[in-house]
Amino acid sequence: MLRNAIRKDLLLNGKQFWGLIPWFAWAAYALGQERMGAMTAVSGALIGALMTVSICAREDKFHATAVLASLPVMRRTLVQARYLLAFVMGAAALVLVAGMAAVLPWSVQSAAQAFEPKTLLLGAAVAGVSVALLMPVAIRFGVLGVIGFFAVLQVAGIALLVLPGALGMKDVLKGLFRAAERGFVGWHAALGQPGPILETVAIVAIAIWMSFYVSVFLAERQDL
Amino acid sequence: MDSVLELRGVSKHYPGFSLADVSFNLPRGYIGGMIGPNGAGKTTIVCLLLGLVRPDAGEVRVCGLDPWRDEVAVKRRVGFVHEVPQLWAHLTVDGVAGIVSRFYPTWDQPLYDTLMREFEVPRRRRVASLSRGMRAKAALALAMAHHAELLVLDEPTAGLDPIFRQRLLDRLAAYVSGGEASVLLSTHITSDLERLADYITFIRDGRIVFSTTRDEIAETWAVVKGAPDLLKDERRAWFAGWEAGAHAFTGLTRDAEGIRRRLGGAPLVVERASLEDIMFLMGRSC
Repeated sequence: MLRNAIRKDLLLNGKQFWGLIPWFAWAAYALGQERMGAMTAVSGALIGALMTVSICAREDKFHATAVLASLPVMRRTLVQARYLLAFVMGAAALVLVAGMAAVLPWSVQSAAQAFEPKTLLLGAAVAGVSVALLMPVAIRFGVLGVIGFFAVLQVAGIALLVLPGALGMKDVLKGLFRAAERGFVGWHAALGQPGPILETVAIVAIAIWMSFYVSVFLAERQDL
Repeated sequence: MDSVLELRGVSKHYPGFSLADVSFNLPRGYIGGMIGPNGAGKTTIVCLLLGLVRPDAGEVRVCGLDPWRDEVAVKRRVGFVHEVPQLWAHLTVDGVAGIVSRFYPTWDQPLYDTLMREFEVPRRRRVASLSRGMRAKAALALAMAHHAELLVLDEPTAGLDPIFRQRLLDRLAAYVSGGEASVLLSTHITSDLERLADYITFIRDGRIVFSTTRDEIAETWAVVKGAPDLLKDERRAWFAGWEAGAHAFTGLTRDAEGIRRRLGGAPLVVERASLEDIMFLMGRSC
């Protein structure tokens, strides 16, 4: 049943892949830029994984959730299929980036770079955490929920930039940003060591595991 | 008698609407009809049967199983046609069938092919380009092609031409003729139910007004017509529903003889009530 659910999502959303053409164009350009480093591969993993989130949003848009829910498949299995598909799509995007790196004559990156442990971990962390955050929102609230989620993030970001200035706490904000930057750079630099690798894997795994259970909880309780 | 579906004391609350203490059943091998005005709760009941909605109270059984606990087993036994067939619009009809069929171990491809031919559905056309009636036909074929024990059809004949409607009713009659399959039809078109349904459930404002056999309805309910001055205020309570015009009144009753007696030989016309009479007159009295 899980296989059928994944197959269904792929068949129903095949045309969405055309929407990735602009990203492919950007990736083709980025592969020729030394400074981009692992960015192309990581963004590929993120875009691939997030496509699955957009599948939920699309289903909501076309009111197809009720048709799906009338098929003899557990809602839990449908949610499982989405998470698994996100993983598959993320991995497929990485493979595509590697393929492009190998084929494009202007690429300054090698195919092997896409599969370096650091790149893989960074891709898994960025894509995994994004999917973990967005998937429950998309499953429960559909396209409007995803739009709302980004709107809230935007407002929070603007508030974060404006409020400290208004409250005379600009230095506090700068300090926070610097700390976050140092933390990220430190984490990235340490990704070659076993401890941070394990910590990263554990955090991403826990985030996805929790997100999955929240999604199942929401899907099973949703009246359609 | 073995029931293919059973609701016992089912309630479901939404803001502005409540389904309250709904109980009825449909014996296996029969066609049941649900009638009622818009917003009466018919679609909510369909959703409860399919496990798309969870009841706040009461018990729902489909083929003896709980649609929430035995989600997959129930859905394998049920074929469902939505009020507005929500097929994936960008796929062809056969493309939709290709997806749906894999979920049903009992999918019968030759039967699907036969139904497609019989219903004259253009299989290679995209769902988006089909008329509403054609979509309904495709949805019906998909629902029937896996040998469902229970077909749940929510307004299936809306948008269908009269010729196909007749053919569909014949198809449904044949579908249950073996005694193993059953059909639950939710519809506004009461004439379809009068021709086809063995059991009728009338729902109004989220409550069951009656749920009984079509024959019993025909024997029990009557329409009484008479001069408008006969329908004095205190007499209106004798009727389950009434309508007063300038030249005559029409009342719905289960006791036509009693009313005739009480009116002491006043000129009255008593007719058998059609489902439409029942729906219309009961709708007016609320």
